[in-house]
Order: sequence, then structure tokens, then C-alpha cells
Amino acid sequence: MWPQMTNLLAPWQWAVLAVVPPAIVALYFLKLKRAPLEVPSTYLWRKSIEDLHVNSLWQRLRRSILLLLQLLLLLIILLALLNFSWRGESRAEQRTIYLIDNSASMQTRDVDGGQRTRLEEAKRRVADAIDTMQSGDAAMIISFSDTAQVVQQYTGNRPELRRQLKSIQPTNHSTSIIDALRLAAGLANPGRTSDDPNDLAAADAVPAELRVFSDFRFSTVSDFALGNLEPKLDLIGQEDTGNVAIVNFSTRRHEDRPDMIHTFARIQRYAQEDSEEESADDETTVRVELLLDGSLIDAAELSIKKNEFGQVEFTREDIEVGVLELRVDSKDTLALDDRAWAVINRPERRRVLFVSKGNEPIERAFSSESADKLARIELAQPEHLESEDYKKDSESGLYDLIIFDECAPQKMPPSNTLFINALPPDGRWKRGDDIADGEVQVIDTEKTHPLMKLPDLGDVDIYRAFNVERPSGGVDLIDSAAGSIFSIAPRDGYEDAVLGFSLGLFREDGELYPNTNWRNSRSFPVFWRDVLAYLGGTEARGSSSNVSPGDTYQLRGELQSGEVKIIDPAEKSSTVSRNRQNLYEFTDTQQLGVYQVWSDDQLIQLFAVNLFDRDESDNRTRPEEKVRLGLTELAVGTSWQPARRELWKWLALLGLVVLLVEWYIYNRRVYL
Amino acid sequence: MSTADSPLLSPELLTRLERLELVSRKIYRGQMKGERRSPRKGQSVEFADFRTYVPGDDIRFIDWNTYARLDKLFLKLFLEEEDLHFYALIDASQSMNFGDPTKLEYAKQLAAALGFIGLVRSDRVRIETLGQGAQAPGPVLRGRKSVWRMQQYLEGIEPGEPVSLHDGVRNFCLRNSGKGIVVLISDLMDKDGYESALRYLMAQQMDVYVLHVLSQEELDPELTGDLRLVDCEDADMAEITVSAPLLKRYQQTLSAFIGGANEFCSRRGMSYAMVRNQMPVDELVLNLLRRQGLVR
Repeated sequence: MWPQMTNLLAPWQWAVLAVVPPAIVALYFLKLKRAPLEVPSTYLWRKSIEDLHVNSLWQRLRRSILLLLQLLLLLIILLALLNFSWRGESRAEQRTIYLIDNSASMQTRDVDGGQRTRLEEAKRRVADAIDTMQSGDAAMIISFSDTAQVVQQYTGNRPELRRQLKSIQPTNHSTSIIDALRLAAGLANPGRTSDDPNDLAAADAVPAELRVFSDFRFSTVSDFALGNLEPKLDLIGQEDTGNVAIVNFSTRRHEDRPDMIHTFARIQRYAQEDSEEESADDETTVRVELLLDGSLIDAAELSIKKNEFGQVEFTREDIEVGVLELRVDSKDTLALDDRAWAVINRPERRRVLFVSKGNEPIERAFSSESADKLARIELAQPEHLESEDYKKDSESGLYDLIIFDECAPQKMPPSNTLFINALPPDGRWKRGDDIADGEVQVIDTEKTHPLMKLPDLGDVDIYRAFNVERPSGGVDLIDSAAGSIFSIAPRDGYEDAVLGFSLGLFREDGELYPNTNWRNSRSFPVFWRDVLAYLGGTEARGSSSNVSPGDTYQLRGELQSGEVKIIDPAEKSSTVSRNRQNLYEFTDTQQLGVYQVWSDDQLIQLFAVNLFDRDESDNRTRPEEKVRLGLTELAVGTSWQPARRELWKWLALLGLVVLLVEWYIYNRRVYL
Repeated sequence: MSTADSPLLSPELLTRLERLELVSRKIYRGQMKGERRSPRKGQSVEFADFRTYVPGDDIRFIDWNTYARLDKLFLKLFLEEEDLHFYALIDASQSMNFGDPTKLEYAKQLAAALGFIGLVRSDRVRIETLGQGAQAPGPVLRGRKSVWRMQQYLEGIEPGEPVSLHDGVRNFCLRNSGKGIVVLISDLMDKDGYESALRYLMAQQMDVYVLHVLSQEELDPELTGDLRLVDCEDADMAEITVSAPLLKRYQQTLSAFIGGANEFCSRRGMSYAMVRNQMPVDELVLNLLRRQGLVR
């Protein structure tokens, strides 16, 4: 790029400069003071000089090489002066905030034909930008994945910026830019404060350039105003990148034969749609391998069309405990999601309290053999909720799950709960409108949730129900035409589920009728088995419990020891103490792989951390799409050009070299 | 001998030179009886021819043996041995006053050495400089006893004679019409060229030797920087900036100059030798000039 020049000098200064070259030429043509030397005869010298004179212009140039060098030096100085202050005399100090995405998808190795990952490319570009910083400029670096981190506060110290830039490591997290934007805006916009407690040295609110280096695999940011920030988006990554990813991998023990393990995997292929005809037939075949404790036990081949998914299922016997690893042999650009782990822990019975006036179908479901294997179920009447025993037991976290059938406690217990036709007492849940009798229509169930994965409610009729309004962060599991009638939401590390209809009988016209025919359905016991497995925590502990990278892993504490040791996939061990809620909480789940939980030198538990993030695995870039930041819609830049390059230093250096050469030639001119 | 103390010629050199003699490629008529064969028949031991006796002939040369056999009088003719005319012509211009030893000094030594050889062999030796007027010939020297005079004369030669090579040689030719060997000792640095001067010598039909004396400074100048070269003779100035191409060009010019002189002389039957002032005189005389045929 041809450098932009800025007129630094005033006209009179230019005039002075303009005089210099003629002055040099004039000075050069002044008679050189030569040392007189008497010689026998100038006869031969004259002939020699004449011979040289006969030669063309080049000889003349050669003779005046010093002049040329001086003029060259002058030219270089002029250029250096032109570049010296690129943005003119009244140039304001520039502040730049670099937002670098270090989420999982940034590990896609698709830059320059697979030479660099996207994160490396982003860092390289930022390093280039840092190189072009000028004195007085300040820059700040923020890395973001699902959270944002100030890597370097505003500083003009370029070595420090480079050093901190280098320290940015890829993460396996999902992408959320909002935190990073808030951090940046906190510095740029008055009236906001930075979220970061370390951000003491926050600069005065000054307009800043906000440069985002990302593959923009995040959803639109609303509820944000840029204010003084001038955003500039740098899209990193190739448009034609594709990826084959394991988006789900789970195991489940066979109902009747606990030694038999079913393994399910869902493998999605992401690719750019070239044209419609082509994409229809374009299939890719990948090899899927299943490893148990590191050795191959099964394999399958799977053909997947563009942007579709394929499923594989393996069934293995004689697996009591172990680590299953699934590998997809696809030479794609993102390796993170080509492996997934599932652990098989020894099944353990959980403690479940079922508080009900009596509900025969549920009790029948609980009496099944498989339910008995999963949990030790205690039955209680609602009156029991008032007793001291209950209070003591529930406070201490004795129960993994408490099911309140048409009743509610005074206080939420420290355990998972399921409320049937009742609401939790903490006020977060709201009872919506009652749905008119007989008008409840199930239109959708959340099939991806473990609770609703298997039950089929297609032929289920419900007579009376109410609309469940869940707190934020939850999921609606059963949607009726009038709204959700079954939802689940987290609460301080627990989960509460509310079923908006009774599973018992209701009396009308003196007759008792069942409120729903689900109780007689075959999917009913399956549902309760899932409730025990999922809400009871058996599934979480008993089989494939998956933790997303960066999420907190919780182990309910029934152990004697107050501490457990957790060994991560890199063999690094850390100790976790039991907290007040009778939980062991482990947060350092950055790495993908299998973590071991040890207590008193005994391996008590395994858990796997897998990516399973469709947004991160879908690493296609979409340069044509605009990114909405708050109210502003911005185009992403694909052709990134390095910004200003400070040339004047090199020119000055070149000038110095020319000077040295001139000096050398002058002193040792016989060599030229 | 008195010449043993001469700064021009060391005793050792003299000893070695005594064995040499000057050789002319041509046989010339001498003026006095010398040690050279003369085209004239005369008294010597070397027989040349017979001729019939005519009255008035010296009866001492009648071959009586032939008369006894043939009863006719024949006169025996012998080759006459005559002296050789040797001229040393020294260029004593200002340009010869350079070098260490100066080219003039060197020319004097050379002339002295050659003159000494001639004197020892009873040749007629005349040493002159280019600057001498047409009517002021140098002294004629003959015999060993004249070595001292020759030396005196040589030492009296001073540099700075303001005469061109052409004029000097022309004057020399006017002064000396006789035949013989002429050795021109000069640096040939004349801006008008040396060719016309040498043509004069050639026209004299003399046996011409050109000893081209150049100093080390001229052959391999060690100059640096920006210089104004001043010609010591005509104060002509040449401004040069010494550079490798210039020095290279100078060497080419010098080679062309020497080569040109050599070729000019060779084509015209003159002997040419380029002599550097660093070369010892004895080596020059005993080796180079012997090879050239000037001495033997």
C-alpha cells in the first residue's frame, strides 16, 4: 500500500528544504580543493584522464557519485520527514481496544491453508497493529470466550502489549462477546464502570477504536450501546471451512442388564453450501471409532450429507466401569470436536423422597425393578413436611431428589425437586393461566432434554392444566397450545421441575376421573425412570455425565472425607473441599477429556468434559452477514490490511547507511 | 685509479666493466687508430686481401713469399683497426630530476659506465646533453686517462635544461655528423612526442640505442585523493581524482606509451630498452645491454 503522506512542514520550511538540493549541487560544482603535486610530466596523466572523459555519462556519474549519494541522502531525509508524523500536527492520541476471540471455534486451523489457527492469526494481526502504534497511542487487549478477560490494560508499552498478547491461550469455551463489549464500553463511555475489579487504572472516558478479531460465531448482541466506541470487525477464518463434529455422545445402561451399555453419538457435518444441486448429493464418509480405556473396541463408517447429521449406536456388554472415547477420523480444521468421552461409573442408588397423598400410578412406576436399582425411594405424606425430621434431613442434603405431588414445602430444600401440580414456594415460579378444561393440547416436547428424550406424548390427553411460567435460565419441556405445562429451571446448583398438571384423579359430578391418560401409557414408567436418573442424579453419576468446558462440576457429598482430589486429563491434580451445601464444586474444567475424582486414594468417580457445542463446532464463517452490536449493524471485514507502518525509522536508518557508504567511498574511493 | 672514488661508478663495477667492450652492429670509419676494425685496410695483424703493387706503395707490405713463387709483386693488405665513436646523449630536462635515484642521476651512471667501457677500449667517447647548443659540442674523450675528465663532465651536468627532445636531438645531429654508436638516455616524456627526435638519429645512420629511463613513481604511482598535478617542465596542471579506474587507465596508457616507443624503435632498426631507475647499473649493463648487443 502506498503510504499516505502528511504535510508536516510549513511552506517556508518546504522552501528551505527545496533550496537544499540545488545548494548541494552548486557546492559540488565548486572547485574541489586539490593538493598540488609536482610530477615529472602530466603527459601520461592527461592521456589517461582524456581516455576516461571519452567514456560516456556513466563516467561522469561515477565521478560525481558522492553528489548522487548526497542527493539520495537528502531524498531519504525528506521522505523520513514526510512520514515522521503521519497524521499531521494536531494528531490526537489514539486509543484502541483489541477484542480477541479465544473461544473453541478459534482453534480452527484454516488460515493460510492450515498453517495457523484462527486465534494465532488474530494474535498475529494484533501484533502487527501493535507494531504500528505510535508514541502516545495506547491499546488495551481483551480476550473473550464465554467470559471476557482484560489481558492488558491501556498502555503504550508495546513490548508489554506484545508479551501479554502472546499469553492469550485458546479455550474450549463458547462465544459471548457481550462481557467483552461491556468491559470495553466501561472505559470508553462515561457513566459506565468496568466489570473487572482489577480495572483500577481505567482511562478517562475517551473515544476508542474497538477492533474485534473473531470468526463471529456468536449471536447478535442486543441491549448494548457502543457510545464512544468505533467498532471495526475483523473476520478471521476461511469462508469454505467445513467441520465434522461430534455434537453428542452419551451412554446408557440397559434397563435389565446393567452390564450392557448403549452408546449413542450424533455427528454433524458443517459445510458451506455451494449450490443447491451439488449439496444434495455431496456426502462425506467418516470413520467413527469407539475406544474403551484407550483400546479400540468398535468402529463404524458414517456417510453424512452437508449440514446434516448422522448417528451411530454401539452396544457393548461386560462394561462395568470405564472410559469410552469416540473418535471421528475426519481431516477437518477443528480437531477439538473430533473426540468425545463418556465415562461409565458404577451405578449408585440415590435417595429420593416422594411426598404425596397417594398416587398409585407413580408408586407403581417407582416399584419397578429398574427404578429400584436407580434409587432408594421413600414415601411420605404431605404432613411429613412439617416434621422436624423432614427439616433436618432435607437441610442436610440427605435427599438427591424430592418429589412434591400436589403439595409444597415451606422452604426449598438443598436438593433437586419436582413439583406436580404445585409451585415451589420461593416465588421465582409463577402460576400462569389455567387452561380451560379439556383444551390442553400437547404440541411439542423438548426431545433434547434427558427428561423428555424418550417419553412420547403423542397420544396423551390432559384434562386440566395450568401454564407454568418458569424463571429465566430454564427450559420448557412440554409445550401446549396455551404455553408450557412442564418446565425445568436451575436453582443454586440444583434443578427444579414443575409439572403443570395433576397425575392423579379429579372428581367431577361425584365421579373420579384420571386427569390424564398418560398414567396408563407405556411411556409413563419410562418418564419416571428418567426423572430418577436425571433429577435423582443417577444418570449424572451413573453413566455419561457431561460437563461443558468451563462449567462447574458438582459432586454431591456423601463421603466421609471433607476433601476430594481431582486429576485432570493433563494429570494435574487439585484438591476440592466440601462446601456448605454439601457439594464438592470443581471449576477448572477447561480441558477436554476425562477427569478423575479420588477420595482417600480411591477412585470414586469419573467425569468427562466435552465440547458438544454446535455454535463452536459450526466454524463456517459468514462474511456476507452483518453483525449487530446493539443498535449498530456492521459489516465484517475480510480483507485485512495492516494499518500504518512506521517507515521513517527505516528511512532514517537507510540514510545513515548511505552516509556511512559515502564516508567509506570518500576515504577508500580507490575501490570504486 | 682516480675513478675508483667516483660516486658514479664503484670500483667493483669498474672491474667488471673493464672486461667489456662496446659493439657496433655497423663497421664505421674511424679517425684514429683504434681497436676496431675499420673498413679501411691498414696495419694490423688481421689479413684482408692482396693487390698488385704499384709504385709508391710501402714496400714493407710486399708479400715476398708470393714474389718468390710467382715473380710478381703483390701487396698484402691488412684490416685497419680503428677507434669507435661512442656518443652518450643524456636528457637533462627537469622531468629527469625525479625519482630516487633521480632519473638524471641514473642516466649519468649509465653514461659513465658505457663511457668507461669505451675509454678502456680506446674508443672515442663523447658525452653530451640535449640542452647543449648546436655550436657547443661536448668534450671528446679517449683513453683510460680520460675517465676522470668524463666523470668531471658528467657531474657538471645539472637538470633543468629547457629544451625539447626534438630540438636537443636535432642539435646533437648537427654537431656530430660522424658515424658511431649513440645511446640516448631519456624518459621520452615530451608532449610533442619522441618520434621526430628519433627520426633525426635514424637519419644520421648511427647505431642508435634508446634507453628509456622511467622512475618507480611513474611506473607505479602511489597517489590517493584529489590532486592537482603540476608538470615540472611547463607548469601544466592536470586535476585528477585518484580512483581505481583512473589508475588502471594510467597503467594502460603507460603500457601503450612504452610499447609504442619499443615498436617505433624496432621498426627503424634502433634498439630500445625500458629501464627503471631502481635497476642496478651493473645488472643493466652486464645483462640487459649485453643481451641487446651493445656490449660484449
